[in-house]
Amino acid sequence: MESFIKEFSAKATQAILALPSKEIAKALAILQGVYEREGRIYVFGNGGSLALATHFVADLNKTVFSHNLDKHTRRFQAIRLPSTESELTAWANDVGYDMVFAGPLQNYLQDHDAIIAISSSGNSPNIIKAVELAKKNGNPVIGMSGFDGGKLNQLADAKILVTTPKGEYEVVEGVHAVVLHLIVKYFKNYFDYLVELGKAK
Amino acid sequence: MIIVRAPLRISFVGGGTDLATFYRQSPGRVLSGAIDKYVYVTIAEIPFKKIAVRYAEGERVDHPRELKHKRIREALLDLGLESHLEIGTFSNLPGQTGLGSSSAFSVALIKGLNLLKKNKIDTATCAEGACRLEIDLVGEPIGKQDQYASAFGGINVIQFNPDESVTVEPQLLGFKERLDLENNLVLFFTGITREAASVLTEQKQKTTSGINIETLKKMADSVSDFKDALFAGDFKRLGAMLHEGWLRKKSLASNMSNPAIDDLYDSALASGAWGGKILGAGGGGCLLFVVDPQKRGAVEETLRKVARKHGLSDADVIPFSFVHSGVEVVTNSAH
Repeated sequence: MESFIKEFSAKATQAILALPSKEIAKALAILQGVYEREGRIYVFGNGGSLALATHFVADLNKTVFSHNLDKHTRRFQAIRLPSTESELTAWANDVGYDMVFAGPLQNYLQDHDAIIAISSSGNSPNIIKAVELAKKNGNPVIGMSGFDGGKLNQLADAKILVTTPKGEYEVVEGVHAVVLHLIVKYFKNYFDYLVELGKAK
Repeated sequence: MIIVRAPLRISFVGGGTDLATFYRQSPGRVLSGAIDKYVYVTIAEIPFKKIAVRYAEGERVDHPRELKHKRIREALLDLGLESHLEIGTFSNLPGQTGLGSSSAFSVALIKGLNLLKKNKIDTATCAEGACRLEIDLVGEPIGKQDQYASAFGGINVIQFNPDESVTVEPQLLGFKERLDLENNLVLFFTGITREAASVLTEQKQKTTSGINIETLKKMADSVSDFKDALFAGDFKRLGAMLHEGWLRKKSLASNMSNPAIDDLYDSALASGAWGGKILGAGGGGCLLFVVDPQKRGAVEETLRKVARKHGLSDADVIPFSFVHSGVEVVTNSAH
């Protein structure tokens, strides 16, 4: 049993060490830009990735400001898509499952917004539809993928690819959670520093 | 109604190497950063067969060719927009401050007019379009750095290649490095405004005749050293490099500085600034200093005092932050 644990930990460690730091830096710069121009960030994925999206939205909207909630009146505006189960099932039932993200995204998307698409394979048709919509509109795309990155990694402006053999969902989703928390920690430190400098907005 | 805004920029090193007379011989490079001061362009459709334009002056004409405002006139003629429009502009700072406001205006105008024609152009196309408008259509003797700095936003190294292509390399500074940089910089408006063209015409002549080429090569080369010092947070070194650049720049054209600017500059250094430069083409506009945060108050006070001595009543410190966004559509209710 312990050898399995060690083997899995080694794979996860290897994937973390191989993270593309420049691409993550690009993602941080995209999110900083959206914050400055008071745009919105739409986050989505399928299954476990949708759960990651939900978790991340909560952290970005609240946790990063936690130390000084009263001092930051300007906050991130992150939204998990679709934002209601009713929309999810309506689009899936009436139009098709490939429209569950692109459909609701079309309602909201403005020029100053950005999206974060999470897909281990990088090839889920519903993810790609939404990414194509954002690209067509000129919005920055942060793509979090695994395996060989798939189409998502090709299309994204910030290409956060967790390189693994095909099918290693557990490692990919685990490392995606680490990257999302890295982003949360970066902005938490940033907003703390703004308060220290008396520059919080 | 369409409202587009584009940021002004602070240029650190390499200014002048973005002129075609130089980069066609040897690649030009600059390092600059967009700041939270903007030029806004508003475009409204009107039910009259007129073109109305509002800036420091107001114009109302039957055809764009009658407009006095060169950039709007040439842009409208080029895009085939002949009537039923009112175009206005607002900004956080006056023009001719050396912060690239006229190019920011062109960038916002190109983005907005294309949007009006249901044409969503990307950032690079917008920057190229603004360069074409100012340099080719209006015939300004200016370079290409401001249009790219404003369209892209953020802190960038921008390279101008002999084949006219331009590469923009974002400098991904962390928040600490960026906020510390802001904390070490003082931006001071001298209260003197000038047309960039007047300084650049002499500089261009000297470059064409080969006098300035070696100096400009050194300026383009200094970008990578400046970038290293920036990432290392070595502000003293950044100050020293700006000072060297300022001395070089003064040699490029005789009207780059004047006694009041020299007095402001020398007094700031005497009060503890590590170095500085004039922003933009020179001859007036803003000065930028790298300052030990402990001495910031003293340097700002000295600058205000010296400006008063020279009767520069509009002179003052301008607080600013760097921004990550470039040209952006604020409102588009026309779609």
